[in-house]
Amino acid sequence: MLISFINAFIDRLKAIPDLIPYQTGVLLVVLLCNGCGQTPSAVDPALDRPYTAEDGGALLSAMPSDPSGLISMVAGESASSAISSHIFNTLLRYDQSLDLTGELVDTWEVAPDHKTITFHLKPNLKWADGKPLTSADVLFTWQLVVDEKTHSPYASDFQLVTHAETPDANTFIVHYAQAFSPALDSWSGLQILPKHLLAGQDIHTTQFAQKPVGSHYYQLSEWRHGEYLKMDKNPLAVLGAPHINQLIERIIPDPAAQFLELMADNIDSMNMDPITYARIIPSRPDLQARLNQYKELGNSYTYLGFNLKHAPFDDVRVRQAINYAIDKQEIIDGVYLGLGIAIASPYKPGTRWSHPTLTPYAYDPQRARALLTAAGYQDSNGDGILDRQGKPLSFEILTNHGNKEREKTVVIIQRRLKEVGIEVKVRSIEWASLITRFIKTGDFDAVVMGWGLGLDPDQYNIWHSSQQQPGQFNFIGYQNPTVDQLLEQGRQTFDPVERMHIYHQFAEILYQDSPIVYLSAGYGLTAIHKRVKGIVDPIPAAGVGYDSQQWFVPAPIRRHQMQAE
Amino acid sequence: MLNYLIKRLLWMIPMLIGISLISFFVMHLAPGDITSTEAAFNPKSSEESRQKLRALYHLDQPVMVQYGLWLKRMVQLDFGHSFASHQKPVFWAEKNANGDITKGMIQEALPITLLMNVLGLFITLILAVPLGILASKRYHQWPDRVITLFNFIGFSIPGFWLSLLLMYWIGVIHPWFPISGLHSLNYEQLSSWQQVQDVLMHLFMPVVIPALTGLASITLFVKNGMLDVLNLDYVLTARAKGLSDRAVTYRHALRNALLPLITIIGLSIPGLIGGSVIAETIFAIPGMGKLFYDAVMMRDFPVVMGILTIGSALTLLGNLCADLAYAWADPRLRRGIATAQ
Amino acid sequence: MYKIFKHPLACAGLVMILMMMLLALCAPWLSPYDPNAIQVKQILLAPSSLHWMGTDGLGRDVWSRMLYGSRISLLVGLVAVGISTLIGVILGAIAGFYRGWVDTVIMRLVDIMLSIPSFFLILAVIAFLTPSITNVMIVIGLTSWMGVTRLVRAEFLSLRQREFVLASSAMGASDVRMIFIHCLPNSLTPVLVSVVLGIASAVLLESGLSFLGLGVQAPQASWGNILTDGKEYIQFAWWLSVFPGLAILITVLGYNLLGEGLRELFDPRSNHTR
Repeated sequence: MLISFINAFIDRLKAIPDLIPYQTGVLLVVLLCNGCGQTPSAVDPALDRPYTAEDGGALLSAMPSDPSGLISMVAGESASSAISSHIFNTLLRYDQSLDLTGELVDTWEVAPDHKTITFHLKPNLKWADGKPLTSADVLFTWQLVVDEKTHSPYASDFQLVTHAETPDANTFIVHYAQAFSPALDSWSGLQILPKHLLAGQDIHTTQFAQKPVGSHYYQLSEWRHGEYLKMDKNPLAVLGAPHINQLIERIIPDPAAQFLELMADNIDSMNMDPITYARIIPSRPDLQARLNQYKELGNSYTYLGFNLKHAPFDDVRVRQAINYAIDKQEIIDGVYLGLGIAIASPYKPGTRWSHPTLTPYAYDPQRARALLTAAGYQDSNGDGILDRQGKPLSFEILTNHGNKEREKTVVIIQRRLKEVGIEVKVRSIEWASLITRFIKTGDFDAVVMGWGLGLDPDQYNIWHSSQQQPGQFNFIGYQNPTVDQLLEQGRQTFDPVERMHIYHQFAEILYQDSPIVYLSAGYGLTAIHKRVKGIVDPIPAAGVGYDSQQWFVPAPIRRHQMQAE
Repeated sequence: MLNYLIKRLLWMIPMLIGISLISFFVMHLAPGDITSTEAAFNPKSSEESRQKLRALYHLDQPVMVQYGLWLKRMVQLDFGHSFASHQKPVFWAEKNANGDITKGMIQEALPITLLMNVLGLFITLILAVPLGILASKRYHQWPDRVITLFNFIGFSIPGFWLSLLLMYWIGVIHPWFPISGLHSLNYEQLSSWQQVQDVLMHLFMPVVIPALTGLASITLFVKNGMLDVLNLDYVLTARAKGLSDRAVTYRHALRNALLPLITIIGLSIPGLIGGSVIAETIFAIPGMGKLFYDAVMMRDFPVVMGILTIGSALTLLGNLCADLAYAWADPRLRRGIATAQ
Repeated sequence: MYKIFKHPLACAGLVMILMMMLLALCAPWLSPYDPNAIQVKQILLAPSSLHWMGTDGLGRDVWSRMLYGSRISLLVGLVAVGISTLIGVILGAIAGFYRGWVDTVIMRLVDIMLSIPSFFLILAVIAFLTPSITNVMIVIGLTSWMGVTRLVRAEFLSLRQREFVLASSAMGASDVRMIFIHCLPNSLTPVLVSVVLGIASAVLLESGLSFLGLGVQAPQASWGNILTDGKEYIQFAWWLSVFPGLAILITVLGYNLLGEGLRELFDPRSNHTR
């Protein structure tokens, strides 16, 4: 009897195996408290006083995922470069007004035929371990990035260098087979690695990726995987020492938890979504009192991209119809709460590359229907979905899981397209498998994703017909000889005005072809605690994080001896 | 006893084979060639490394051979390396050519999950046994009714929901406990006693919330067990002999009522391990559950397979321990009157 | 069966379940808005007379979405448990009726399935296939039949020794007849209890999976989905977290109360209904 009872009971336990049905006595209290939820923290007037710059203190921020390693040319992920950009220098960088200036180099010369660039390194550069940083390190880094075995996603620009030489310890010369106008831009993105620590190592398994030594403002001091990374000030920093002693990046995957940590004052800064920025923080005076909010036009845009090799997207009328059927302003209002801009060319609005007269496809469902009819679609069986030759006009949009803005965008698109008789299925897939299983294999109808906008207008990798191999960026299969020619021309043209005309012409053709629907260029939204001073305001063109070595945390308002938790 | 132990150990062999079959089946559910998965989310993955991977999983061999080789690797606890670009060993530490040691992913995550579960179980038992006794002694009176109501709510409340509400309530409105993570940022500077305190503070919410689960079922279990035993002949006899109520309850009834608890605890292990997914994901605790969730989302097959196998093996081990403890505690089992399945 | 009305907890459970079922069935008539209608000018509105439970991040009416979400919960619960019960009854009947090596094989299979942490298994299978309501129902069904198998097997083992079964066996009744006419109907009472409790756990499981983003996919509403969408705004839009959580709690509580009530009524071995 006892045994059978146990069995019955075990089955009971088994029947609810892993659901964690929790018991609670506090539930009701929680519910009652929900309304009264204001963090009881007094507004500190000290936060708003002026301070003079001083050294010390720490800055805590949060990022969603642990980097896989800190050699960004290998890791190829944003989590990695977010950290490694504090640790490693590049040869060149963009200054406040987005002009190129030297970082590791003092001066550089471009030969009149544009095929040779000579970089002169600053004298007496040192790695954080005290060893000298020379042109040999730069050469080594270039060899590494173009090495077949490295398989760096950034290799292609550097493969155009036919050979490189180091006549002396401070001089680095690169030769190109033909003129390449984005060359200098590409060198502003390559983080220089120390040869003396990496030579002879397998770049994929080396411990250096976990314990890097660089030359920039900060050096990694502690890395608790999945929890946090700490970086300490580098006294030998090539560009001089920053004010803040320590940077701490906490790994908090869940944006909700990130915001709760911000509210509990356990982190100083985080990137926000539009709802947090526009609705939640304004509704909370206690948060407003201790946070500064920054808004800047981001360096990326969201788009709906079609697989041009799949029917019905091989028909330009269908692509244009979909473009007309989507209300971009609705997406900007509903998903970005107005914190976005509709665009008509793939460039950052307000820059010279952005086409001045093109306007985004208007929301015009009538026109969309007309185009679809012209393409031969009609609702012959009366189910509300258009069809042609017995095949319904139906496709699937993929986007990456966890990106709330894109997931919402897709739902809005689904709704609008249904109104003109197109059936859309929606699926959100984790980033890695989206890329792997669908993008690389070309096994998709349409995607909602984003493209970053570099400072150089060259978009050869995305639009040139030669870039369609699996793993390359023209995965939608765009093919247009005129565009190919323009892109090639743009890469060999140096005069800014001439280049501008080339890229405007390129944008016009894209606009007509409508291979993607530009949805929105969103704003980057950041909240930073008021204890962090020295932030350039208004935000320079280079972004809020520009010049962060000038930031400081005055001693009187520092986080209490890092009792962070 | 020795015979029983040997029999019990031999019995685990077919179980392990079955687990290997199921995990093998799960791996082959995924559409497409897993090497193409690796190639895609690892830009550096080359034809060469794909070949290595194909060799590792013997993908060019017939299915039967593949399974045999998978079984062999399972026995050797060789789960390979993660697909993620850090390429860490899945299970245990490894030394590379330079003599650097890379810790295994499961090796790092397992102690955290085990610690959480042991603490949780401890809290559950401390609360559940007295509550269960109270409910059985005051059967159909108000303490029993209150406890029963709590039990039902406990069974029924979604854990992730309670976690969210509590996170906001005792993490933000009243910042009594840390919201996420396992260590404070100044952990390294703390004295060892403070370090223990620090970890316990961080574990409070992720441990206590799931522990309340177990509380519901184990309280009910203790109560029903006590009710059963209190009506048995020998307890009635003891009572008839004039022993005090206290003596009857604690000396005679409780011991027998608690005996089956050992089995219950053993059997709750897979639930505890599986349940760690939600708690660890919400509270950002780098344990087995979060590791598994991340691996599943990224299709990091070696890690998924490793955790599935190790988790099952742990369950078997837990059941074995429970059975042995039961056999040790209950003489009836040794004589084969009852079985502990 | 009428005895159920004398059992207050079971009665309360039944009322909760019936209420939820009624809401689910009448969803099209009760919901004031199309659950998927997007109103970008009305996002994250607090509950009001226009929107009883407020609106979500896309301006959709939460009350309407809750109603349609209840259909998902009901469907997942019923179908998943249907699958697991079917498998469980068949395997349990075979094991208990034929005994011998068939029984051994089936019971070992049960042991093996029980030793794999089932949430891990479910998560892996759903993620490797594609998350969808159909897959969720099938996978939950395929991983939760072990309890029923054991119950049915135990009933069959004891029924086989009973005189009326032995008698019909002696009279040369076929196996099929014995299983379906004599044994099965007599072993279904405990199965009913486990069906009811099984629905409770399937509903919880589905909401957990949806919460992790592996359950029902957008734009379809499910309670777990609404909660996931709302968790980022818990301090601002409490209605997105509180209502779906309560709905899950009430539904699951209903099934648990009814199930335990039925157990106490039916289980002759349980002497706690003194």
